[in-house]
Amino acid sequence: MKILTTVKKVVDVELNIHIENGAIIEDGLQYVINAWDENAVEAAVQLKENNGAETTLVSIGGDDNIDMIRKCYAMGIENGILIDDPSLTAPDSAVFAKVLQKVYEKGDYDLILTGKQAQDTDSGQTGIMLAEYLDVPCVSNVIAIEVIDETKISVSRLGDTGTEIVELTLPAVVTVSDSINEPRLPAMRGIMMAKKKKIQTMDLAELGTTPDEVGAAKSEIAEFMKSETRQAGQKFEGDAAEITAQVVALLASEAKVF
Amino acid sequence: MANILVIADIKDGVLKGSTAELLSKAKQLGAKTAVVAIGSNIESLTSELAAAGSDTQYMADDPSLALFSAGPYAACVVEAAKAFDANMIWFGFSETGKTVAPRVAAQLDAACATEITDVTLDGEQIQVVRPAIAGKVIQRIKVNTQILVAVVRAGAFEATAGLTGTENAVKLAIPAADLRAVIKEILSDASGDIDLADADIVISVGRGAKDQAGIDLVKGLANDLGAGFGSSRAMVDSGLMAHNKQVGQTGKIVAPSLYMAMGISGAIQHLAGMTGSKTILAVNKDPEAPIFNVADYGIVGDLFEVVPILQEEIKKIRG
Repeated sequence: MKILTTVKKVVDVELNIHIENGAIIEDGLQYVINAWDENAVEAAVQLKENNGAETTLVSIGGDDNIDMIRKCYAMGIENGILIDDPSLTAPDSAVFAKVLQKVYEKGDYDLILTGKQAQDTDSGQTGIMLAEYLDVPCVSNVIAIEVIDETKISVSRLGDTGTEIVELTLPAVVTVSDSINEPRLPAMRGIMMAKKKKIQTMDLAELGTTPDEVGAAKSEIAEFMKSETRQAGQKFEGDAAEITAQVVALLASEAKVF
Repeated sequence: MANILVIADIKDGVLKGSTAELLSKAKQLGAKTAVVAIGSNIESLTSELAAAGSDTQYMADDPSLALFSAGPYAACVVEAAKAFDANMIWFGFSETGKTVAPRVAAQLDAACATEITDVTLDGEQIQVVRPAIAGKVIQRIKVNTQILVAVVRAGAFEATAGLTGTENAVKLAIPAADLRAVIKEILSDASGDIDLADADIVISVGRGAKDQAGIDLVKGLANDLGAGFGSSRAMVDSGLMAHNKQVGQTGKIVAPSLYMAMGISGAIQHLAGMTGSKTILAVNKDPEAPIFNVADYGIVGDLFEVVPILQEEIKKIRG
């Protein structure tokens, strides 16, 4: 089985984000691998270990994606592709899905694994759109993958009314939830080996496409605004019986929820 | 004038409140409205769909659509969108919406925006507002296409009282089953539980509840209040709570009138799923817990001690 995993570099959501004049201040930001993509990497490596598979990852971005790719190597991914093209600056799910379609078509993969969404946009579109463009089946929000044979897998998806068990004919796209696994911490040996491994870097021309072919962004961010943060309200400390009674009275009289 | 198609949110044969909320917003924008309803044995919902504020009801009613399958579901939405000549296609916040919307957008070559909290229409120019980066920022997005497919965040729009519509049911062709993604079964969520998305009060339990006894204690309060019962990620990871109970960036996003966080420290990923609530009450032993930064009312204390008192006091007030 040939597995392609797509990974995105995202801003670290644990740090403070500052906005000025409708844009995010870059200064002081740190970037990390999208947590859900890290789950997808772990899922790919587990499939390699348990069932035998060739694992490749692809990322879109610049040189600053290289550390992230090396981290995935250290986790057990075998091949890395970086699509670095000056036209791919504004992230647009549809455009990125078109680029990934080209990567897929060059590699003859059986399974594409990706995170169910990226932490920076929380959009959750790219993997699903990729499946549409490739005309292959897709299941999102997956919490378990089981290989049936070389042509079929069974996945469990968290749906609206319960856990859906879906049998997929390969090739297919699966987007994973963070509930699927706990990504491993790379061992020192893996980290050392990862440093020597090659990363295949390509621009759109080398990928056999053009900015026109992958299309223009279907939407654009006009501005960033500060989130309306809630203000801390009243905090009560002291005798449990007394403060709890006080709070319940306020919930009724002030918040009018009872 | 814009044509807005709303996907009816039907669960176990019941029409959910989000449908009327979305239709209300569409009417406020001065749009022509239609709904698309997909499922089995749903014809009886037609008049209810009209009363929710729709002027056309596209019905895909077939036994083959009883179990959710994204491919055929998307095909129904695309067919209705074409028939209605929709400029906007809105899903309520759901896993169904999140997985179907990008498919529909790809098939219609449309823009797609998920978790929107507002939408404006200036002539033909559509703009949406949505949170991003775990709710730390808000994006205003300009749509560059004629058609927008959107998933609306829970609690973003309010239903207008006295909304009316016209009964005008149109039958959709039933798409073929997706033979490449065969739904084998759905392991149903615990029945009888109150849907987190619908609940007026949601009570979630975190690490502070420690074990099953702690969970049962908080569940008792939820039962008293007829509240939805949710969870932090920690309790799901420890296997004490089911995946579908998780509230947060990666789980359910809720916006009830009252949210009670019981023994939840308040990681950013959890906050992303509940800060849209009208009122937040937090109970936590640690006075420095970040949950207190977003709570309207905070009780510093052990939930094992506080919850029974809460039950008593609330009983006194509600009678």
